Amino acid sequence: MTDDSHRFTSMYDECRQRVWAYVVSRAGRQVADEVVSETFAVAWRRLDDVPEPALPWLLGVARNVLRDNIRAEIRREALNGELRAWTEGDVADQVTERLGVLRALAELPEDDREVLLLIAWQGLSPKDAAHVIGCSSAAFRVRLHRARKRLKQAMEPAGQPRPRVPNLSEEWS
Amino acid sequence: MNPIDELRAARPAHLGDAPVDERTRAAELSYAMSRPRPARRKRRNVRPVWGFSLIGAATAVAVVVSSTGGTTAQAPVPARTTVTSSTPKVKLSARDILLTAAAKAAHQPAGTGAYWHTVSMRRSLFAVEGAGYQVMDRQREEGWTPNATGGDQWGSIKPLGARPVTAADEEAWKQAGSPAEIPVKVPGKPRPMILSTSPRKGFTGHSPLVDGDKVFWLGRNVTMKDLRGLPSDPAELKAWLLRSYEGHSTESSSDPMAADPWLFTVSMGLIIDMPVTPQVRGAAFRMLADLDTVDVIENVTDAEGRQGTAVAIEEHTKGLGVVENRLVFDQATGRGLAKENVVVKPVGLTSAFEPGTVWNSEVVLEAGWTDSKPSS
Repeated sequence: MTDDSHRFTSMYDECRQRVWAYVVSRAGRQVADEVVSETFAVAWRRLDDVPEPALPWLLGVARNVLRDNIRAEIRREALNGELRAWTEGDVADQVTERLGVLRALAELPEDDREVLLLIAWQGLSPKDAAHVIGCSSAAFRVRLHRARKRLKQAMEPAGQPRPRVPNLSEEWS
Repeated sequence: MNPIDELRAARPAHLGDAPVDERTRAAELSYAMSRPRPARRKRRNVRPVWGFSLIGAATAVAVVVSSTGGTTAQAPVPARTTVTSSTPKVKLSARDILLTAAAKAAHQPAGTGAYWHTVSMRRSLFAVEGAGYQVMDRQREEGWTPNATGGDQWGSIKPLGARPVTAADEEAWKQAGSPAEIPVKVPGKPRPMILSTSPRKGFTGHSPLVDGDKVFWLGRNVTMKDLRGLPSDPAELKAWLLRSYEGHSTESSSDPMAADPWLFTVSMGLIIDMPVTPQVRGAAFRMLADLDTVDVIENVTDAEGRQGTAVAIEEHTKGLGVVENRLVFDQATGRGLAKENVVVKPVGLTSAFEPGTVWNSEVVLEAGWTDSKPSS
């Protein structure tokens, strides 16, 4: 086996499931394997360009593959199914708070959800997460701040009045 | 608690870091690494997907895909003649079959076009978890390789879903409630893998040729010009191919492989789906006719139900037991029909299958020149 194939398979073993989890959290399980497969095909072709650590780069590629291959409405529909499965399935072993967080997550706009999950589930730094999304670190921090706020609001117990979504000037006040 | 921490704690368990199942791993690695890519130095990256077992037995299982004659998981009962037999009569017969195929292949019309286009169907056989039946997973693959240098190579893959194999399997599947998702045994893994019975979305992609001109792997990366200029004399062809032979398998430099099985593996691709001239295809058959270790099996049926003859060689693998690699061809035209892996001595990953089972195959549906490519 060549050095390149060794490097590639190691990278695959290290990152594959995390790329998969990212794709599932963006477009559901139905398309996840295809997108992951295509992502690593790109990674092999461009192995010389893949930085170390590879995960943020791979997530960025997966994001593009999703955008280019899966139509937005199909993505949304698939993800809605996935989110329902998270919050409705397996109720027996679900803790109430956990359910509440996932339901809140499901209510958020797609962009908010993506930003939050890159940090909370993928464990990326804001800088790496900004790289995945293709924006500056500063812009990412702004988006993260807003998304966090909206998540917090969505997590307020049902029945309580919800404050309206703040605009940017309020956030910085 | 910080909402981010709460979110972190709420991550569904299945999105954790459970390992990927071996079959998916093998399929994805082979899919990726079979693609060409710009190369800085000599490497074998234009290899065909077929037989690309990457890193030994654990991953070999999924890469080659399985087949049967559509209604049975068993290979047809073969009329076998062995080239190695000490009885000259039998030896002549097997040799004659290959020499006839050589003559037929050499007289097929030569063509040309902007792209070498192939369509093939891969099949893999799986034993269903917790049930006594088997299912076959299918995938359609299509490729366009440019005749001219500097262009892009195109490929598409369409997963077609898994189906019960025999009528009895079909009945057992219906008894189980005709599930749309079927858990199958992946040997050596504690958890089953889930196959879908319905087709999934296909992917079409394209990428520049390696070094701008390498199109296939034939022991080494070769250009279209190399392929078109291969020697049509069997001894010269053999010598040309063996220049790339380094004593190890086509998959891994740590697996020793004798020259005959190595030549067989490399020539299968040459015969079945590479754009060589009819004379070179004929020479490849004649070269195989001179290998002492190959068998000829008549009256076989490929996974698409086409009648043919197989030339085969046994391989003693790490972890897969003894496997027979077969090239099925049409005796009347010398045209390659299919590559198959047959379980001879089941071990480990093949232990779910009876000896004689074709547990994976790649059937070539089309191989020829065209002037068109995918539009997107």
